[in-house]
Amino acid sequence: MKLEETRVCILRVGGTNCDIETREAFQKSGAKAEIVHFNQLVKQQSLLDFNVLVIPGGFSYGDYVRAGAIWAKMLIAKLGNDIKRFVEEERPILGICNGFQVLVEAGLLPLFDGISPFPEAALGTNIPTGYNCRWVYLKHINHGSCIFTHKIPQNLVVRIPVAHSEGRFMFGNGKEEKCLEKLLENDQLVFRYCNPSGKFASGEYPTNPNGAFFDIAGICDPSGKILGLMPHPERSFFNWQRPDWTGEGSLCVHSDGKLIFDSVVEYLGRRT
Amino acid sequence: MLYQALVKIHLKPGHSDPEGEMTARALKELLYPVKSVRVNKNYIILLESKSKSMAEARVEDMCKRLLANPTKDEYAIQVEKAR
Amino acid sequence: MMPLNSAQPIQEVEIISANDIELQKISKGLSLGLNQKEMEAVKRYFSQRRRNPTVVELQTIGQTWSEHCFHKTFKGSVITKKGKIQNLFKTYIAKATDELNLPWCISVFEDNAGIISFHEKFGIAAKVETHNHPSAIEPFGGAATGVGGVIRDILGVWADPIACTDVLGFGPLNYDHNKLPRGIKHPKYLFRGIVDGIGCYGNNMGIPTVNGAIYFDDSYVGNVTVYCGCVGLIPMDKFARNARPGDTILLAGGKTGRDGIHGVTFASAELTEKSEQIARPAVQIANPIEEEKLRRGILKIRDNELASGITDLGGGGLSSAVGEMAYRFKCGAHIQLHRIPLKHDDLAPWEIYISESQERMLLLVPNSSLADVLKIFGEEEVEATPIGKLTDDKILRINYADFEAAHLDIDFLFSPPRTERVARWNQPKSVEPIFPEPSDLNPYVLKLLSSPNIASKEKVVRTYDHEVKGSTVIKPLHGDFGGPNDAAIIKPLQDQWKGVVISCGFNPSYGRVDPYWMAASAIDEAIRNNSAVGGRRIALLDNFVWGSPEKPDRMGSLLRACEACYKFAKEFETPFISGKDSLYNESPLGPVTPSLLITAIGIIPDIRKSVSIDLKMFDNLIYVVGQSFAELGGSEYARLKKHEDGFVPKVRVPQAKYAMEGIVNAIDNDLVRACHDLSEGGLAIAAAEMAISSNLGLELRLNNIACAESVRRKDYLLFSESNSRFLVEVPMGKAPEFSRIMKKVPHSIIGKVTKDPHFCIYGLRNEIVIDLKVDELRRAWKSGLEQQYET
Repeated sequence: MKLEETRVCILRVGGTNCDIETREAFQKSGAKAEIVHFNQLVKQQSLLDFNVLVIPGGFSYGDYVRAGAIWAKMLIAKLGNDIKRFVEEERPILGICNGFQVLVEAGLLPLFDGISPFPEAALGTNIPTGYNCRWVYLKHINHGSCIFTHKIPQNLVVRIPVAHSEGRFMFGNGKEEKCLEKLLENDQLVFRYCNPSGKFASGEYPTNPNGAFFDIAGICDPSGKILGLMPHPERSFFNWQRPDWTGEGSLCVHSDGKLIFDSVVEYLGRRT
Repeated sequence: MLYQALVKIHLKPGHSDPEGEMTARALKELLYPVKSVRVNKNYIILLESKSKSMAEARVEDMCKRLLANPTKDEYAIQVEKAR
Repeated sequence: MMPLNSAQPIQEVEIISANDIELQKISKGLSLGLNQKEMEAVKRYFSQRRRNPTVVELQTIGQTWSEHCFHKTFKGSVITKKGKIQNLFKTYIAKATDELNLPWCISVFEDNAGIISFHEKFGIAAKVETHNHPSAIEPFGGAATGVGGVIRDILGVWADPIACTDVLGFGPLNYDHNKLPRGIKHPKYLFRGIVDGIGCYGNNMGIPTVNGAIYFDDSYVGNVTVYCGCVGLIPMDKFARNARPGDTILLAGGKTGRDGIHGVTFASAELTEKSEQIARPAVQIANPIEEEKLRRGILKIRDNELASGITDLGGGGLSSAVGEMAYRFKCGAHIQLHRIPLKHDDLAPWEIYISESQERMLLLVPNSSLADVLKIFGEEEVEATPIGKLTDDKILRINYADFEAAHLDIDFLFSPPRTERVARWNQPKSVEPIFPEPSDLNPYVLKLLSSPNIASKEKVVRTYDHEVKGSTVIKPLHGDFGGPNDAAIIKPLQDQWKGVVISCGFNPSYGRVDPYWMAASAIDEAIRNNSAVGGRRIALLDNFVWGSPEKPDRMGSLLRACEACYKFAKEFETPFISGKDSLYNESPLGPVTPSLLITAIGIIPDIRKSVSIDLKMFDNLIYVVGQSFAELGGSEYARLKKHEDGFVPKVRVPQAKYAMEGIVNAIDNDLVRACHDLSEGGLAIAAAEMAISSNLGLELRLNNIACAESVRRKDYLLFSESNSRFLVEVPMGKAPEFSRIMKKVPHSIIGKVTKDPHFCIYGLRNEIVIDLKVDELRRAWKSGLEQQYET
């Protein structure tokens, strides 16, 4: 299969609102990306016609019940078999912000022992509480398992914005240590909040914008083919999207988020 | 038979409740002598079922599947015949 | 409210035989909001037809003739000492636009939003609304539906919303609870609810909220002020406005309920202690996800050219939307009320017709494409219902099942009796505040930085998603320090470098002294904010928030402001393209301070040239552009000194125009590294904000300020708020070229950027006047709002 034939599915439902810019990011990185309504996938098309599944940001179904929860259950209820095959065949899945919430609620992340019928983690209400839109620094700490970040050198600090009110990554009370160990063991940690020089936030606001456990901003599954992250790489694709690009003198064309799209596109190209 | 279930979802003890803290602050601003607030979410569900125990089982399933995230939430269910 | 009688749902009202007192009783009893003259016109109309009106008809007339829907004050006549003015709107606001007659104004004052050209076939639509009364009663819902409403105005001209703006006016957050009259909510409570409401709607819909302001003033305690704006992008070749008799009237979106009944009559009256109980049903419930789906459907219908007309349902609900559509297309309309999907099935016909339930749009669809339109809405899970048809007879006919609920001439509906207002204006005597110059001015810089109108609004701005869509080039918060950029720039087209520049001007504290110069200053501020980042070819939107027009002094000050609007829009060559007025902002604490919000929409040919607020490089020169005067009236410094009046800043055209044009010219020629306009707090605060936004310092000299010989006091030079001025960072080598470009405007080098983050200002005899660390400035500026909030 050639890169030109690979298809990225950017899935949407009522309330999804970051689909257009996510599609642009994939397109500018060289992939063929389409925005597909969830109902279309249920009724007409097949998820398995696509090579990458992206769940973009937004407020799916109003984020009622819990952020991402309704869509997650609908996804499993209506496309469960396709999702299962998608995961088994290690086709990449990317969840950004609301998409990360969906993946966690659907039991697709952290995916310790296959697709879990119940969420194994949660993205709780931010501490401090409230919606927070800001640029954060992230340290890329994955050792190479994650196909979405293989073009990002380990320990590199990247700048990407967050914008959410439920992004506090957490495990069940008392289970944190054991779960963290597993994440480390499986090389599932991808991004952690840090300061500009790469020192981890240690929970300190606003370096860690939501109080996430262990400053976790994004994790992948053990195979490295499913990535969920709270920050929005599609909003950090071009240089002029950065928060202080006017001061950066020489204009490079792109920003850090592009590396994520480039990584997965290159991965798709290599598989062909 | 029609049953009415009252489902209460609340955070497990030990999890901080920023929404509750924020609400407490707002109430204090309105000059109420509030010490603390915990937020819980209630769902009132009308469902058909053959018996009360079967209704309870179905609602419990709903909680596990959608209404609660076991990582952070607890739930309580009360089922009675709908009037 | 009248209970619904299912056997005879259409009630008639005895009006033909009613005397004056009874007419007023009817108007009050049905909350029609119609005055004696208007009720008499209604009586005359039905007497001629030898029948009594139905409740549906009376309510339809009440809604259509309300201040909110018809703007009768602006369209009516005004009696002044000098004579009668026929139409405020045409005499002042629209006149500037007409006389300028600029080719890039595509559609002005015509539709739900003004439209200007942008790039090739693309136009930019803009609209700003107020939602004060609903927000005073229920802050979250009121503000959220304010945003939802203005977004629908943009959808109502087939445009895709690309950015939101909001300007809020509150009473002081530390206002004494005991001084609050009954029925008025504490500013803190309103603040939290309104900010949450605004964030909720924009964030949920995925539209970035990129520009705005928060202003604190005692008069807002009883009259909280909420402006919501929206900007949209529209391919003009898809702008369908060609409906014909026979086209289907399609209602799309949420169901119709009792929410928001009599919202417009409520908005066109003063708030009283009882407003809360009466008005609760007038508050609408927001459902942004519904509107998001509606947006998707509408844009698809637009792109496939399936409809012939569109409008939003806002104030007055169906009654206003249907009437306006029929009137615009010179048609009649026949509506089947019983077809409208309801939230509760006990709604009376008149309630259905005037309900202001949110997230609804009205489309006109030729029969040949109706099936396609319904299919598109179906795919987006949006309910859409044909509720009637346009007819060729200019009559509004409404049926409720087999009953006739209304039969009105459209022309009658749109020719209410002309309102007549009386205006009186006494020019206030301006005396310059007299107080000795403080010996140490350092504390004043810090106090001003932390004062509510100047302090950082970061806490609020971060709760608005200003990055969604990934097109925000110049952001409301700049860099890690959250610098307060003068305007926002959006890059709406993927493969074009052209940008939309959005800014505002708002100076209510000048309004207390002189509404004429307040309006002039707001126009100047909006334009200079736009220019400071590189914006040009500017269009303006006007939004008046005023007290009751039935009181001659309020009317007098409104007239003053209108005069300034005409003069300065004309002289700056910045046409008004859209506007809205909210009158009757009166509470038991008195009227609102005359408040005119000016929103400016400019363009920048290449966003890569845009300029931000933060200092870039040490040793670069700092210029002040524009002339400084001793103008402290209504200034933040005067407020701190407890002096309310004095000379408010004037606007001096053409000099002001040269300053704006010069800045843009210099930006185009790559001479400007950073730029910031001088506004609240004057030169000292503008300079401080530039330093706060960066890691660098400033060293400035007051005796180098151009053409300020008449001003001999250091505090005046530091804090005067004279208009049309900028601080500009220019690299040393570019100084000669910069001076050449600025030759028509007073300008001078007043210092330089320093590596050391220190803020140092020398006085008229080269003595040190201000000596502060930038960290101290930043702390004061960032903690100001919170300090207010915590006390």
